Amino acid sequence: MRTRYLVFGLAALICSVGNVGATENAPPVPVFTEETATSGVDSVYAGDWQYMVGGGAASFDCNDDAFPDLLLAGGEAPANFYRNASTRGGPLRFEAETSGLELAGMTGAYPLDIDSDGNVDLVLLRVGENVVMRGLGGCRFERANEEWAFDGGDAWSTAFSATWEKGAEWPTLAVGNYIDREQEMSPWGSCTDNWLHRPLATERRFQPPLALKPSYCPLSILFTDWNRSGTPSLRVSNDREYYEGGQEQMWKIEPGKMPVLYTEEEGWKYLRIWGMGIASYDLDADGYPEYFLTSMADNKLQSLAAAPAGGPAKPSYADIAFARGVTAHRPYMGDDLRPSTGWHTQFEDVNNDGLTDLFIAKGNVDSMPDFALKDPNNLLLQSADGKFVEVGDKAGVASVAVARGAAMADFNLDGLVDLVVVNRREKAQIWRNTSENAGGWIEVRLQQTGANRDAVGAWIEVRCDETGVMRREITVGGGHAGGQHGAWHLGLGDATKVEIRVLWPDGTAGDWQAVAPNELYLVERDQPARKLLAEQ
Amino acid sequence: MSRIRRIGAMTLIVAAAWLAAGQAQAGPARPGPQDVVRGWYKMVLELVRHTPTYSPPVASRSFAYIGVTAYEAAAGGTGLQSLAGQLNGLTALPQREAGGAYDEAVVVNAAIAATVQGLFANTGPTGQRALAAMARKTGGDVTLGLADDVVARSQARGNAIAAHILEWSKDDGGQAVENMGFPMEFKLTPGPAHWVPTSLVAQQQTPLLPDWGSNRTFAMPDGAACGLPPPPSYSEEPNSAFYNEAVDVFDAVNGLTAEQREIARFWSDDPMLSPTPPGHWLSIALEVLEREEADAELTVDTMARLGVALADAFIGCWDAKFKYDLVRPITYIRRLIDPKWDAILITPPFPEYPSGHSTQSGAAAAVLAGIFGENFAFEDSTHVRDGLPPRKFASFWAAAEEAGISRLYGGIHFRSAIDLGLEQGKCVGAYASALRTRN
Repeated sequence: MRTRYLVFGLAALICSVGNVGATENAPPVPVFTEETATSGVDSVYAGDWQYMVGGGAASFDCNDDAFPDLLLAGGEAPANFYRNASTRGGPLRFEAETSGLELAGMTGAYPLDIDSDGNVDLVLLRVGENVVMRGLGGCRFERANEEWAFDGGDAWSTAFSATWEKGAEWPTLAVGNYIDREQEMSPWGSCTDNWLHRPLATERRFQPPLALKPSYCPLSILFTDWNRSGTPSLRVSNDREYYEGGQEQMWKIEPGKMPVLYTEEEGWKYLRIWGMGIASYDLDADGYPEYFLTSMADNKLQSLAAAPAGGPAKPSYADIAFARGVTAHRPYMGDDLRPSTGWHTQFEDVNNDGLTDLFIAKGNVDSMPDFALKDPNNLLLQSADGKFVEVGDKAGVASVAVARGAAMADFNLDGLVDLVVVNRREKAQIWRNTSENAGGWIEVRLQQTGANRDAVGAWIEVRCDETGVMRREITVGGGHAGGQHGAWHLGLGDATKVEIRVLWPDGTAGDWQAVAPNELYLVERDQPARKLLAEQ
Repeated sequence: MSRIRRIGAMTLIVAAAWLAAGQAQAGPARPGPQDVVRGWYKMVLELVRHTPTYSPPVASRSFAYIGVTAYEAAAGGTGLQSLAGQLNGLTALPQREAGGAYDEAVVVNAAIAATVQGLFANTGPTGQRALAAMARKTGGDVTLGLADDVVARSQARGNAIAAHILEWSKDDGGQAVENMGFPMEFKLTPGPAHWVPTSLVAQQQTPLLPDWGSNRTFAMPDGAACGLPPPPSYSEEPNSAFYNEAVDVFDAVNGLTAEQREIARFWSDDPMLSPTPPGHWLSIALEVLEREEADAELTVDTMARLGVALADAFIGCWDAKFKYDLVRPITYIRRLIDPKWDAILITPPFPEYPSGHSTQSGAAAAVLAGIFGENFAFEDSTHVRDGLPPRKFASFWAAAEEAGISRLYGGIHFRSAIDLGLEQGKCVGAYASALRTRN
C-alpha cells in the first residue's frame, strides 16, 4: 500500500545560514562512521580494461518501506542487490538478496519508474546489451526489453539520463556509450554513438534508438532544465581521452523535433575535459543550476556566465571552481600529491546547515603513475560565503581505495545523508552519518498521477523563516554510472518556520505550504503534504 | 647536390647491399624498415596525445630519443654513420655480431618498440593495451617467414640499441616529470613585466617545467647556444614599443578574419588534445615521407634530425623564457587596455618570450628544408580526424611562419616573440642539420 511510504526529502541550500554547530564561522564538520564490516555490503567492482570506468551505485526503495535499497555494479562479476534492513536511526544493515538485477557485465544502473506503476524500475548499463528491468514490487524485477521494445544494443554503455518530454506518457531515455571495445590497437577516435530512446506516440513502448551524432565518449549525461524553459536539455560530459574533434556538449531535445546541439553562435563555449561525472544544484539561489564536472586534475564548477535579467539565458558558463575552492585537483592528505582522478559526484547537505555540500569519489584509472595512487575521496563543505572547505579526512570519508561510483542517501532515515562508495577491485565502503551537531532537515518525496509518477523534472522549493528560497531540480542521470530514486533531502540549518512548494514538470506551481522541520513528507500533486513516518 | 638527392643515391647503394647480404626474402606482406618506422610514429603521436605528462617539451624529448633509436637501429645495416659522439652524451652503440645475419625491419621494430615502451611506461591502461597490440601485430608481421635465429639475433640487436638509448636518456634532466610538469612551489618574479598565472586551473598556478632550459641538449652545445636579444623594454607608456606590441595583439584578435581564426585553431596544437606542436611537425614529416615513398635511410635520417631539432628547440626556448620571464598579452591587455578582453586560444601557463611554437617551427623548417629543399610544397593533414581540413604550404618556412603568426592571432604572443622565436629556431635547426649521417 503506497501510504506506507515514508517520504523524505531534499537537500538544502540557502535556507538558514545560521551556523548550526559551527565554530568561528566554519561550517560544522559532519561525522561519518564507516560501517562496511557490519553492514552486510561486500560488493567488488571487478574486471580489467572494459571496467576501468563505471562502477555505479543505485539507491532506491523497492519494497515501499522508505529505506533506500542498493544495487552495486559488479563489472565482470554479477551485480549485487542489497535490501535495506536498517532501523530508523540505527546502524546500517543490508541483506544481499536475489532480485533479478544481478547481471554480470554491468557498469552502472539508474532507477526510475518507467511505467509509472509505483514500482521502481531500473536501467542497467552494461558492456554488451543494456537491460531495462521492470519492478514487480517487493524488490523483485524482471527483464522488460522485449515488452517495452527497448533495444539494449551491444556497446560499452557508461552514462544515462531520462526525462518525460512534454505530453509524453512514457519516458525518453538517453544512453551514453564509450569507445569501440573491439579497437585494441587504435581505440582513440572510436567513440560509438550515444542513443536516444524516445517513446512511441501511441504505445507505452520505445521507438528504435536514435543515434546522437556526433558522440564523444561520455561518462556522464544529464537531462536538466538549465535555462528554466520548462524543457530540459541533455548535458553531456565527454572523456577527451578518446574523442577527436570533440568537446563538452548540450543537446536541445524538444518534443517532436530532432535533437540539435547548442552551438558556439548561441553561446556554448568550447570546453574539453576528461568528463567523468556531473552534479547539479542551484548553489547561488538565482534559479539556475550550477554544474560540477569531475575530471582528472582540476575539476570544473560552472555557473551561467550571465544570468538573464529577463530574456532567455545563453548557454555560456564560467568556471568558478577555482574561486569557490572546489578544483580538488590533487590529494589533500598524505604524501602522494600527484594529480587526482574524479568520478562520481553529488551535491547534498551533509551537515544540514542549509548549504549544499559536495562529494567526489576519487581513484586512479589503473595504476597510472602520473596520477595519485592514494587519492582520497573529497567531502567539501560549503561555507556561508559560497566557498567550499575540504573535510574528507576530518569527516572520516577520506578512503584511498580506488573509487568509482557512489550514492548519497539517508539509509537509516534519521535525517542525515549517508554514503556508499563502489571501489574498483576492492570492496565497496559504506558510511553512516553519525553527526551530532547537524541542523534541521526535511525530506520530500513527490508523487503525481498518470505518467511520470515521481515528477522527474520538477523543482522543489523551500523557504525558511520567510527569507531566501532554495531549490532543487529533480533529475534522473548524472553522477558516475549510478543514480538515486525516492526521497530528496534538504538541510534547514536552525530554521523553525519552513515552507515548501513544488513546481511540477508541466510548469504548474503548487501552493506554498508550511511543514515541520525534521520530518519526511510525501507531496502529492494538489494535495497537502503528508508526513510519512508518522503513518508507520 | 641537395641532401635528398644524395640520400636517394645512397639508398640505392644500401638497398643493393642489403640484398647482397643475403637477407631473408621478405614476403609480400612483410613491412620494410621504413614502414615499421612510420607505423610506430603514428602510435607515438597517439600516445603523446593521450599521456597527460606529455606537454610539448616532454613530447619533443621523446621524439628525439625515438628518432635516434630508429636511426641507430637502421644505421647498422646501411651506410649511415652513427650519431654517437655527435650527440651530447651518446656513446658508441653495441656492435653487431660479426658474420651474423640480421633483418633490418626486425631490428628497427624491436628497437623502437622497446624505446617507446620505456618512454611511455607512464601512459594509461588504454595506451598500454594499444602498445602491446602494436608490438604483437608489427612483431608478427616483420618476422613472417624469417629463420628463428635471424629473428632472435635481430631482436636482440634492437633491444640492445633501445637499452643503450634509454640509459643515455636517464641523466638528461628531463626524465622525471612530476605533477604534469608544474612544480609544487615557484617564486614569481616581482614586477609588472613578469609572468603571472593566467589560468583558473589550480594546477597551473606555477609555470610549466621552469628548469627545462637546463636540460642536456642533443646537437647544440647547451640551452643558451641559440640565445636571443631581449624583447622590447617593458613599458606601460602608450606608443612605447612594448605597448604597441600589445595593441597589435589586441587589434588582431578583435579583428580576426575567418581564415586567421582558422589558422589560429590549426596551429593551436593543444597538449592532450592533439599531438602537440612538435608532434604536428612529425606528422608533417611523416606525410611528406609517405608521399615521397621514402626508403629506410631517408625516413630515419629525417626523423632523427627532426626529433633532435625539436627537442633542442624546446630546451633553447625554455632557457630564454625563464631568462626573460615576460608577462603574457592577456595579463598586460587586461591591466592596461581592456579588462574584459579575451584571447581566442588558451594562454599557455608559462612566460611569453619567445614563442615556443615559433622556435620549434623554425627549427623544424630549417631541418626539413635542408632535406627536401627550400621550396618543397606540401599538404598538412595533421588535424583531419579532428575535423580541421588540410592546409597547403609552398614551403616549410611558409608553414613555420604561419605557425608563428597563429600565436598572435590566438592572442597569446607578441610579435617579437614570434619573429625572434623563428630566428632562434633557425639557429637550433642548423645544429641538427649539421649532423653527419654519411661518411
